[in-house]
Amino acid sequence: MMKPLAVIALIILSACQSKKPDVVVLPEEIPAIDLTHLGKAQLSEYGFFQQPIKDLNPVAGVIPYTLNAVLFTDYAYKKRFIKIPEGTTVAYNAHDVFEFPVGTILIKNFYYPADFNNPTENLRLLETRLLINEAEGWKALPYIWNEAQTDAFLNVAGKTIPVSWKHTDGQLRNINYTIPNLNQCKGCHLRGDKVMPIGPAARQLNGDFDYAAGKQNQLIHWQASGVLSGLPKIESVDKLVSYDDKTSSVSARARAWLEINCAHCHRADGPAKNSGLYLLASETTPARLGIGKAPVAAGKGSGGLLYGIVPGKPDASILQYRIESVDPGVMMPELGRSITHTEGVALVRQWIMEMK
Amino acid sequence: MKFAGLFALLFLILSCSTNKPEPRVWQTIEQTLQTQLITLQDGDTLFLPEGNFMFSKGLAMDGKSNVTIRGKGMDKTILSFKNQTEGAQGLLITNGKNITLEEFSIEDAKGDNLKVSEVSGITLRKIRSVWADGPKTENGAYALYPVLCKHVLIDECIAMGSSDAGIYVGQSDSVVIRNSKAYWNVAGIESENSRWVEIYGNEAYENTGGILIFDLPGLTQYGHTTKVYNNNIHHNNHDNFAMKGNIVASIPPGTGVMILATHNLELTGNEIIDNKTVGTGIISYELVAALNEGETEQEASIGGVQTVANNFRADSLYNPFPYGIYIHNNKYQNSRWFPALGHDIGKLFFMKSFMNPPDIAYDGIEDPARPEREICVQQGDEVILINLDAANDFENLKKDPHQFDCEGKSISK
Repeated sequence: MMKPLAVIALIILSACQSKKPDVVVLPEEIPAIDLTHLGKAQLSEYGFFQQPIKDLNPVAGVIPYTLNAVLFTDYAYKKRFIKIPEGTTVAYNAHDVFEFPVGTILIKNFYYPADFNNPTENLRLLETRLLINEAEGWKALPYIWNEAQTDAFLNVAGKTIPVSWKHTDGQLRNINYTIPNLNQCKGCHLRGDKVMPIGPAARQLNGDFDYAAGKQNQLIHWQASGVLSGLPKIESVDKLVSYDDKTSSVSARARAWLEINCAHCHRADGPAKNSGLYLLASETTPARLGIGKAPVAAGKGSGGLLYGIVPGKPDASILQYRIESVDPGVMMPELGRSITHTEGVALVRQWIMEMK
Repeated sequence: MKFAGLFALLFLILSCSTNKPEPRVWQTIEQTLQTQLITLQDGDTLFLPEGNFMFSKGLAMDGKSNVTIRGKGMDKTILSFKNQTEGAQGLLITNGKNITLEEFSIEDAKGDNLKVSEVSGITLRKIRSVWADGPKTENGAYALYPVLCKHVLIDECIAMGSSDAGIYVGQSDSVVIRNSKAYWNVAGIESENSRWVEIYGNEAYENTGGILIFDLPGLTQYGHTTKVYNNNIHHNNHDNFAMKGNIVASIPPGTGVMILATHNLELTGNEIIDNKTVGTGIISYELVAALNEGETEQEASIGGVQTVANNFRADSLYNPFPYGIYIHNNKYQNSRWFPALGHDIGKLFFMKSFMNPPDIAYDGIEDPARPEREICVQQGDEVILINLDAANDFENLKKDPHQFDCEGKSISK
């Protein structure tokens, strides 16, 4: 009689002591949801690229371009293309994003080379984001590449993909790369209540691109190939500096970094206007830039600090604290990165340090 | 012997079951729900099922009109963001018209639990928004957070655990906050830079401050016209657990109602009970700036910001002084003898109103541009009403229940 009791007791004891997690999260069963009313199901259907499309060799009429200052997204590489309907042109605008004809598609591909010191080989494509200008306005559509890299598929809910690469310093880096959901795409691209492109403005395109026929200023190339109309003398066109360009001033580079990483929200007509912090490179009011500005709705994002920027004191500046953080409740930008842009935050740090 | 064995077994079973509860089981509907929030058509109702649902990312809905999201009840449909690794909000609703959220709970987002931005017509009904482990500095700032909205109704909601404000409405117009409960937040209910706001029938208790009506500089709009009535505002004596730098971090524990730099406000019919430091404070942004400067000076390592704390003076559209404040027919009661002694304002009240913290305190800092401030208090003979004269080192501090005896402007609906 004693023996079975002892056995039962043992079983119970071991059951007790086996580590039970506090919570159990069951996996999701994802039903097929029809998205065809939003856009084409596969990237290949648009016919932007020659087969195999993973090489991103554009067909005629799909023009590659780059920007002077680019958004940091966990060190992902990007290849951008634009396609405008035949017989139309893009209208030049000196200060803002160009006016693109209806039917324009902006194509942005995100990828990682296996080795950043050899950035043209062993590429892994993760996502391709399209901005399509329709009669009702711009529409954002995210496509996620399959593992075989044969095509990318429309997915509006976003995804997290583990990625690793050998960084420029030779170290292996591992991250969880987040593909945003469709609303998050809009979150950055909203101006007022309209979706707008962020990059393709004169000051961002005013720089050289390595075309098949040789290096040329992108704006001149666009004008010459009939894509752009109304370009004034190139000398008179504003130019945003590349924040990597060490020949430019620290201030100009830091402001360019802040503009492309922050000002899509932090501007008078952007989603973060409620903060009163405006970070376009053209902003001149110190308080709007954060200098001596108390936070409004930062919560723990203040990091216990009193002001957005304290001149000469990056470690007393909330702005510096938030661009360095990787806590989702603290970090800025809120989306699009899971790691810190070491070079970018060092630049902003130096800018604040040298500020009087 | 046999009985002893059985007894031991029983004991084991009992101890086992009490020490190790079954783990809470969470379902995942992340991809499905986010896709639905995107594909939802205008005019649709999205029904959330009963159950516990765990999310690793923030959810977002944008640009919808006439849409309802309805759960099975705040105790039955739970959306938890405890495992969130990405996104600064739990649920984010942007750029819509006539949106109703009702009958569910949101828990434990890394940032704000529910943020609604630039929506015209937002109703939150029977939503419970909490940080389930209770008050902590690491909790998100706001439990319910409509900002830049118009036509806001918050009805029968519950907000708990926010490291800033439980129910917070910012830079919005035509706002009603009613029949809701806010507890264990730094600020229970806060209306900031908002216009035409009614706050009534709520219970704000055991926060650091119960109800705050603030106007801050440098923002898209400035607030006015607020009616706060028939609320039960009691025992707001919680430690202040806000992260420093935020305006609410300067609220002394034991604050019932705080009125900062706003105008056209009526406070009536409320029970303001046992808020140990001050029942109702009426202050200007000048005082906030002075306190901030004091703090900055203490931290000698931060230089050059004394002038910048005065940024608000450069904002010509901002008036840092409260005016047009009418306080009448509230029930004030405070059985506490000591205000929050760890706080400068608490210390001040301890010295200037010994063992009898004020029911109502006004900083008395004068607005050179507007000598007549229309601050009216009609609360009978018993109320402890202090004019601090803060600008002159409290030289002419005055205690007199009738010193602001005038009939102010009632705010009609």
